[in-house]
Amino acid sequence: METRPALSIQRPGGRQLDNCGASGALRSSLPVLPTPQEEKYPNFSHSQQVFVERGLKQRLPAVISSLPSNSGVVGHMFSSSSGFCNDLHFSSVQQQEKYPNQPPFISQSPNTGSSVLVPHSVDSGVLQSTASSQYNKDNNDLWCTNTIPDFLDFPINTAIPNSQFDCSNSGGVGVPPEDLSKPNDWQDWADQLITDNDALTSDWNELLADANVADPELLCQSSKQSTSISMQPHISQQLPATPGETCNADVQSPPTNFAPGKQRMRWTPELHEAFVEAVNKLGGSERATPKGVLKLMKVESLTIYHVKSHLQKYRTARYKPETTEESSERKTTSIEELSSLDLKTGIEITEALRLQMEVQKRLHEQLEIQRNLQLRIEEQGRYLQMMFEKQSGMNVLKGSSSTNENSGVEADNVGTGFGENSQMVGEKKITRG
Amino acid sequence: MVNGSLDYGKAEAEFMYLLNNEIDKFNAFFMEQEEDFVIRHKELPQRIQKVIDKWGPNGTQPSEMEYKEEMAKIRKEIVNFHGEMVLLMNYSNVNYTGLAKILKKYDKRTGGVLRLPVIQKVLEQPFFTTDLISKLVKECETTIESVFPPLRKKRNGGKMAVPGEGIFKNTVAALLTMQEIRRGSSTYSHFSLPPLNLPDFDVIQSLQVPSPIPIP
Repeated sequence: METRPALSIQRPGGRQLDNCGASGALRSSLPVLPTPQEEKYPNFSHSQQVFVERGLKQRLPAVISSLPSNSGVVGHMFSSSSGFCNDLHFSSVQQQEKYPNQPPFISQSPNTGSSVLVPHSVDSGVLQSTASSQYNKDNNDLWCTNTIPDFLDFPINTAIPNSQFDCSNSGGVGVPPEDLSKPNDWQDWADQLITDNDALTSDWNELLADANVADPELLCQSSKQSTSISMQPHISQQLPATPGETCNADVQSPPTNFAPGKQRMRWTPELHEAFVEAVNKLGGSERATPKGVLKLMKVESLTIYHVKSHLQKYRTARYKPETTEESSERKTTSIEELSSLDLKTGIEITEALRLQMEVQKRLHEQLEIQRNLQLRIEEQGRYLQMMFEKQSGMNVLKGSSSTNENSGVEADNVGTGFGENSQMVGEKKITRG
Repeated sequence: MVNGSLDYGKAEAEFMYLLNNEIDKFNAFFMEQEEDFVIRHKELPQRIQKVIDKWGPNGTQPSEMEYKEEMAKIRKEIVNFHGEMVLLMNYSNVNYTGLAKILKKYDKRTGGVLRLPVIQKVLEQPFFTTDLISKLVKECETTIESVFPPLRKKRNGGKMAVPGEGIFKNTVAALLTMQEIRRGSSTYSHFSLPPLNLPDFDVIQSLQVPSPIPIP
């Protein structure tokens, strides 16, 4: 309440209260403001569905990542956010940023399946920001560029792909059990940390409860979706760290990217063509503005950040050749003098280029072959592993002998003999152990 | 179960963390390059057309000299562009191989079972899905055919151009390295690639620039 005026000052653009989809997490250095709770919470209750709704309006710049620090713990790090109302993700980000203060979590290695859950990607310092950025990335849709700048300072690498791996690992590795226990933990922390703010507490708990409940189930979901996600041509990013909405969202709208600024966009020729069209409509690469292009293109997962960098590359690509054309005109006179010499070297040059082409083609061919081989090998490996697990699932003792035979037979078919056989058995022993 | 202890889980998680960092780097670089290539791939035919329109026989300022010169430049550029794309694919491949070897070693050293599931994930990573680049390469080859003068049967037998330049040199190195890597190993298994035997290995090797650093 008393914060409201402060909030409006900081948000000259005004906040879209109804825009619950906005969920980017941005750490700005704005002073902490307790947010006007009432407006937000109605949104919170819908947060999960809301988040799932894509195509929400653009977020305001400088969405703030965290809860106001009512607890002095996280104080200076967070600023109140307008986008606050939207997320569950906010809560998880906040939690995550609070984690460094909690030793038990810091000791957790970041990449346990927990990394799928944003709050779990603990560890102070790098991870803190990583998690935020990760979180940021999850909350896709159209994020204004402003959300990005703050994150540019942070090491954004990591955590995201971790979740994929962790999900996939969960089968073979004993990590998940740890993860599953975590959600309960942070709900406790969340409680502790938020106790000061009465208004917040209940709602946060509610949110966290949602998140936590959702997590374990979504761990598995997210692993599947991460696969699908990474396969999407448009989507550059790997698994969103946050479970819950993101996973749900992915199920519902796979093509959309869940990243705000820093997430990479995979530019396909089709996307680029749409870009070029938009640029031409706006009067050429020099005159077009990123905002205008973004509007014209109407591609959901595209952010202004993507467009900006792409436009810059595009301009460079066009500008350079044009300058060389100019300079070549000036060289005309000198060229005419060397015309006879030119002819010979011209032919030699062409021959040299042909040779280069041949070698390059050869390399390309070999790379293709190698890649296909690798894919096939892994596919067979996976198939064998599956058969293997089936066998061992059926009958433990019998399984080992029959599996040996089976894998022996199949291995022979593949032409491997003992090598793969022993490896498979070895792996089996390990999983058993 | 092997992974019962927290320590083991932690070590493995750390390993995965590092691995994922590297994979992130690969992806970032790859996609950055891919974006550049997509742009250039679109621009190239337009530039060729511009040159033809301007200095070609039916152009606005027909000039054989200019035309020849510009076309020579473009040829060189296209060939290098083609080379760059192929080298990006090589980058992808080499890194994949590296990851596979690292995982294999990890499993061997620690008795883990990371290799299979992790490599499955790697296969889907953007940096390994090089289909688009491959397609661009093929299209580039078609464009090259159109701008190169028809092939003369008589080849310059004696003098073989030594690739001093970056791209050509790297391409040769890449081919030779590939053969080297697959030559055969002590741990040959079902998951290993068969040896590579380049038919004109001698020719390619002769193209290699001798290393300035003497290797004893």
